[in-house]
Amino acid sequence: MNSLSEIPGGMRYYFGAEARLQRLIEDGCMAVFDGWSYEEIATPLLDYYALFERGMGHQEAQRAFRFTDADGRLLALRPDVTSSVARAAATLFAGRTRPLRFCYAASVFRQRSRSHAEWRRESRQAGCELVGAGGRAADIETLLIAVEVLERLGLRSETRITLNNVEVFNGLSEKLALDTGAREEMRRIIDTRDDSALQEFIRHHTEQTAPGGEWGLARLAGQREVIDEARRLIFNSRSRAALDALDELWGVIEQLELTDLFEIDLGDVSGLDYYTGLVFKVYVAGAGSRVGSGGRYDDLTVNFGRREPAVGFVLELDALTEVLMRRATMEPAQTHPSGAPIVEPDGDAAGLFREARQRRAANSRVRIKQRDEG
Amino acid sequence: MKSENLNPNNVNSRNESLMDSMNDSVVDGEDGLSERASSSTRAARPSSFHNTSHVLTVALSKGRMQDEALTLLGRAGVEVSGEALASRRLAVEDVAGCYRFVFVKPADVPVYVEHGIADCGVVGRDVLLESEADVLQPLDLGISRCRIVVAAPDGAAAHVYGMLHVATKYPRIAAAHFGARGVPVEIIQLSGSVELAPVLGLADCIVDLVETGRTLADNGLRVVETITESTGRLVVNRASYQLKAVAVARLIKALREVTTAVESKA
Repeated sequence: MNSLSEIPGGMRYYFGAEARLQRLIEDGCMAVFDGWSYEEIATPLLDYYALFERGMGHQEAQRAFRFTDADGRLLALRPDVTSSVARAAATLFAGRTRPLRFCYAASVFRQRSRSHAEWRRESRQAGCELVGAGGRAADIETLLIAVEVLERLGLRSETRITLNNVEVFNGLSEKLALDTGAREEMRRIIDTRDDSALQEFIRHHTEQTAPGGEWGLARLAGQREVIDEARRLIFNSRSRAALDALDELWGVIEQLELTDLFEIDLGDVSGLDYYTGLVFKVYVAGAGSRVGSGGRYDDLTVNFGRREPAVGFVLELDALTEVLMRRATMEPAQTHPSGAPIVEPDGDAAGLFREARQRRAANSRVRIKQRDEG
Repeated sequence: MKSENLNPNNVNSRNESLMDSMNDSVVDGEDGLSERASSSTRAARPSSFHNTSHVLTVALSKGRMQDEALTLLGRAGVEVSGEALASRRLAVEDVAGCYRFVFVKPADVPVYVEHGIADCGVVGRDVLLESEADVLQPLDLGISRCRIVVAAPDGAAAHVYGMLHVATKYPRIAAAHFGARGVPVEIIQLSGSVELAPVLGLADCIVDLVETGRTLADNGLRVVETITESTGRLVVNRASYQLKAVAVARLIKALREVTTAVESKA
């Protein structure tokens, strides 16, 4: 086989119905964002690696494809859009009235070991960022935008959005006076819901067995009762404040009658170094991993010289396309429905194209029948 | 604008979901020239959405752990008829129809679970460490207990300051173990009978799973150090954990009750 026929792993084509579906989903997302007054922003595909290292944290940024610029500085194919948006907010848009509302649909590129499910190195994301607005109303605004997109995709009944506040974990970690290594260990244990390991960990890090004995990770996920459960076990003020914030948020969700879509999951502790408050993940039946994630990142813009609150999320368009493609009524390989063929009348090329232009003016689909066509 | 229905404003202003408009725009040519795709093409793709049904799909490691897992499940009230097991079907359901079990090679359990094809799985910790699969591990089932060890021939030098040659079926675990100690190693990946490697001079030592240690002793090897213990674990797909929360919680609870009962007896 010719090596030119090979495609690099984790890359793919989109064609026909699948390509149209992805564009439709993307347009749908952007229409919803527009409906909530978010302005489209396109960020550079290639940027300095240092931007992403500051923006995403070293661990995540490491997955970027890297190059060197002509002057030797390190460049990266953008592994995320938020870093770039945050920089723009703090610099280019410094003089603008707050809050800023940005949205985008863009490809991001990340290296990942092949063993993982849904291995993609290019993935298309639609996202929005609300910069310069703190507090509950901003959090709810972004959550409702995500909900609206999923509703419009006809996925409402199969969607679950999990909510957490990273300060619950941070408070615990502070209370236990964990160093960086131990903190990461606890994060990993909670992240994989490894109950027995957590009991062990807490026994090891606390003198008294009382709080550890009652910790059951299964109890960390559910609806409002999770907060009450957590309040019986967690007493440090930092975690308590985060639980209060979650409780208030849940109160609003209840009033909006959206509780069927949401769940509180205190075990969602991924991305701790990035987010500063609310975090959420979006799951949809038919997708084996999450199709979206977001949260509050109040400390990000300070990297670019201006501290201000911010919240946002991204939806994974490849995963959404896959889910919706499976339930659509057509074959993935089905080609575009083509228009009525126009045949060249007796060597009259001008006549042929005059007719074609007329039909196009009427917005009809045309297909020129080429000479060598069967 | 290629087509009316693709117009985002149009999508935005209508009450129908995007899915409806998607079907319109993809299947229907606006000039009515194209045929509506027949609904029979639907069958060309799997129509069952494993995640939406209430039956949990559980991947079990074939072999010894399979029997221990089924015994444990039986004690937790999940009955699988002997008849169904004997049928050697790819997937068998439990008597109550709450679970569908699929039997796959141990190394494939995390793969099925991470992809969400199986909601849950039962697999050894050794396999999980080696696969680095992104799955939840809510419960240590305490079955198929064994150790992952470094073993070397009796009388081998305690330290090799050059390159240590390590034969193993667990290249990642071995590399991580020696890496953390700053020992330069060459990992020689084998797929079986690892204990032969030092005997035949292929490697200085091995990293392998040990239950009783008899195989090691028979080959003149002794355990130098235990890397970690390994037991059977319940693993759960991240999406299933949220989307089938009630069913998953029920399984975890039932299994937790029987595993803690075993522990307190021991």
